[in-house]
Amino acid sequence: MPDGLFLFFAALTLGAACMLVASRNAVTSAMGMILALVGVAADFFLLDAYFLGVLQVLVYAGAVMVLFLFIIMLLNTDDPEGAYPWKAAALGLAVFFLLGAGVLWLFHWSGAVASTPAGATPPELSDLPKVFTTSAKSFGRLLYTKYLLPLEIAGFLLLVALVGVVSLSKDSTEENA
Amino acid sequence: MPSDLSSLVHWILFLPLGAAAISALFLRKQGTLAAWLSTGTAFAIAGLSLKLLSQDGIVTWHTELAKFGGISLGFGYLIDAHARLMLFVVSFVAAWIHLFSVGYMKEDAARGRFFAGLSIFMFSILGIVVADNLLMTFIFWELVGFSSYMLIAHYFDKDFAAAASKKAFITNRIGDLGFILGIAMCLSLYGTLDFVALKDHAAAAKTIPVAVGALLMCGFLGKSAQFPLHVWLTDAMAGPTPVSALIHAATMVAAGVYFMARVSFLLAPEVLSFIAISGAGMAALAGLCALAQTDIKKSLAYSTLAHLGIMGCAIGLGHPALALMHMAMHAFFKATLFLGAGSVIHGCHHEQDMLKMGGLLKKMPVTAATFIAATLSNCAVPFLAGWYSKDAIIEASFHDGKFAIFAFLALAALATCLYSGRMIRLVFLGEANSEDASHAHESPWTMTLPLVVLGLVFSVGGGFAAHVLIPASSLQPIEHALGEVSFHLAAPSTIVGLLSLVLGFFGALKFYGTVRGADALQALSPRTYHLLEHRWMDGVYRWYIDSVQRRLAEFIAFLDLLVINGFAVRWLGGGIPAVLGYLTGRTFHRGQTRGYALWIVLGSLFLAWFLLAR
Amino acid sequence: MEHTSLAHHLILAGLLFALGLTGVLVRRNLLVVYMCLELMLAAATLALVAFSRFNKTMDGAVLVFFVITVAAAEVAVGLALIVALFRKRGSVQSDALTTLRD
Repeated sequence: MPDGLFLFFAALTLGAACMLVASRNAVTSAMGMILALVGVAADFFLLDAYFLGVLQVLVYAGAVMVLFLFIIMLLNTDDPEGAYPWKAAALGLAVFFLLGAGVLWLFHWSGAVASTPAGATPPELSDLPKVFTTSAKSFGRLLYTKYLLPLEIAGFLLLVALVGVVSLSKDSTEENA
Repeated sequence: MPSDLSSLVHWILFLPLGAAAISALFLRKQGTLAAWLSTGTAFAIAGLSLKLLSQDGIVTWHTELAKFGGISLGFGYLIDAHARLMLFVVSFVAAWIHLFSVGYMKEDAARGRFFAGLSIFMFSILGIVVADNLLMTFIFWELVGFSSYMLIAHYFDKDFAAAASKKAFITNRIGDLGFILGIAMCLSLYGTLDFVALKDHAAAAKTIPVAVGALLMCGFLGKSAQFPLHVWLTDAMAGPTPVSALIHAATMVAAGVYFMARVSFLLAPEVLSFIAISGAGMAALAGLCALAQTDIKKSLAYSTLAHLGIMGCAIGLGHPALALMHMAMHAFFKATLFLGAGSVIHGCHHEQDMLKMGGLLKKMPVTAATFIAATLSNCAVPFLAGWYSKDAIIEASFHDGKFAIFAFLALAALATCLYSGRMIRLVFLGEANSEDASHAHESPWTMTLPLVVLGLVFSVGGGFAAHVLIPASSLQPIEHALGEVSFHLAAPSTIVGLLSLVLGFFGALKFYGTVRGADALQALSPRTYHLLEHRWMDGVYRWYIDSVQRRLAEFIAFLDLLVINGFAVRWLGGGIPAVLGYLTGRTFHRGQTRGYALWIVLGSLFLAWFLLAR
Repeated sequence: MEHTSLAHHLILAGLLFALGLTGVLVRRNLLVVYMCLELMLAAATLALVAFSRFNKTMDGAVLVFFVITVAAAEVAVGLALIVALFRKRGSVQSDALTTLRD
């Protein structure tokens, strides 16, 4: 039986995610999204990945979701009024139960994961030096040694995204005129 | 080799790039500032090149930019006597053209773009001149193509300018395809692209494959507007007149000649004789075609074609140094002619038709004097600049016993004198033939000063100046080439030259005075005129594109329809989903994002199952 | 902490992923669809961190760092696209976007 903190945050995350998916109001959805992401961040903390947890809160809740809310309010588009789309909801429930059953089967009933005791390493990895630290410093060290090229590429990607966004959101006056 | 010379070359090469960047980024709206920045830079470069010209020895500098396997992509300089001369001619002529443009483009709204274009053009052409390997040459070669495209299309809102720039670009591209294949072949044969190393290889090898030279020649054919890729040059007149001067006189077309001279050791005898024959033929033909143009700039463009033919001929005859010398002299007088034409056009309120001009001698005395001086140099009047190089080439052809080429060149000389006389007669003598011409006015000093310097000083005294300015070692290859041909008054070239001068020039002056407001030749024999005016190669290309290329494209499109669309897409890609869609009661291809997402999910689930259950 | 196993975290991640996927499949509002995509990404990062923790390596965690970076870039571009789409079509409902059909 997992400990209470994990259960609490898991329930919070899933509940918030349900709110995100089921709500007809985009703002409510965004709120659910924020809660779910905070839940995920809390789970990161439980997994000793403090740096990532902080990053998750900062980037997602701090930047990405603010952007989402901003756009939602800018466009001001709620789902159309009318009867609740029961058909879609039923379809969604069905899909979710199918997928959830699949997940539970894969990770629980099939025994594939349970057969690996917690903390054990797969045999092909066991001869590697085990390095898992919680400090942000070791993150930086890995980023600037082993993952230097991906880091550079990620930086370049951000630049490209920046330029792309600027050119996308430029109001082409020829079109509007 | 003094080390500070390579830094001098750095400055020469990168000053125009800096000027172009500043103009393009910050001075789009401040046209005057951009104009003077660009002009100042050009003069600075000219001064630096002059300093370089007075130095002896070979400057080399090299740095490796990247290395792919055994292929090294290098960036470096190789400044030998040829490069030094070319550097000086290019930068010097271009500097005066810049100054001319300041006056000529005064009322143009897009001056910032124009002068940024001029500067980037300078950067590109100087890059070709100093390059020490084929790849760097090619890169700058393409830059020249790009910047000429930009400059020809300066009036891009005019259809003919846009079309002309496209034509120039595409025609050059065709030549460049051969060029890059030639580079690849060099790489595979010799394993290096460095000029010095290539020269050693070529010297060590007994024979050089014809294909190498032939492919490299393709680039020259395109850039220097040699037959059969000459068609773009006359259309390129759509650009502003200073651009025509820059392209025709100093830079773009000269780049091809210079490049051929630089890799002349890679050219097999067959390639050389092809260049010689086609060059001589084109020289004669283009000279005659110049007679059937009423647009002053187009007429000059044909004149340039003729001179390019002569230069190509000199290369083909195995005298690259003579070709370079003619290139230099031609740069001086042809730049003057184009700038003079620009001044005339400017003075006559943008009238380009020679038949509507006339009597400008009195109204534009400075322009007229310089234009006539340059024309005389063009006609190779003894002891003017053109005489030193052109007659030397004609003499060389006689000396080598190539009498067919000699005959063509003699015809070219006669044609040169004919169209020159015609031009002088129609533009400057006689009476004004239109309202605009009668109100013509002299141009401002920014336009006349370059004319005086280039026309009166260099077109006339270029030959003398060459002896004074250039140190003996730089001139040595040219002196050597000149020494090979016997050079005296009774030489065949001198006789032919003088004869054609008297017959052609004065005959034309007389002949074109007979009919007023129309072309005398057209009046006399319309059929001959049409024969010369008609652009036969354009017709050939049109036929090729319409009848050969389009047929092929249609055939390929048919195959595409049959095999790809009909078989692969409809049968495999369209058939299976259609069956699935029929079975599931909904169409697969509904254009709905969610539908596509579902298929993605199903596909990845299938993939996951496939991978996990293996 | 001692009581939670890898399986627990994976089940949470899997369910979160399933929820996000459901949202992508059934929701019409592009903005919500986009949030659901982000949710799927977050679920994937959760699984990665769990693997990283239980295998005692840092590589999974570093990968999460990159996922967050890419997600941020993706959100920026995607939202700009949605705004551009809204300007052009006046709607962010995915059902209105059927131009690809033809």
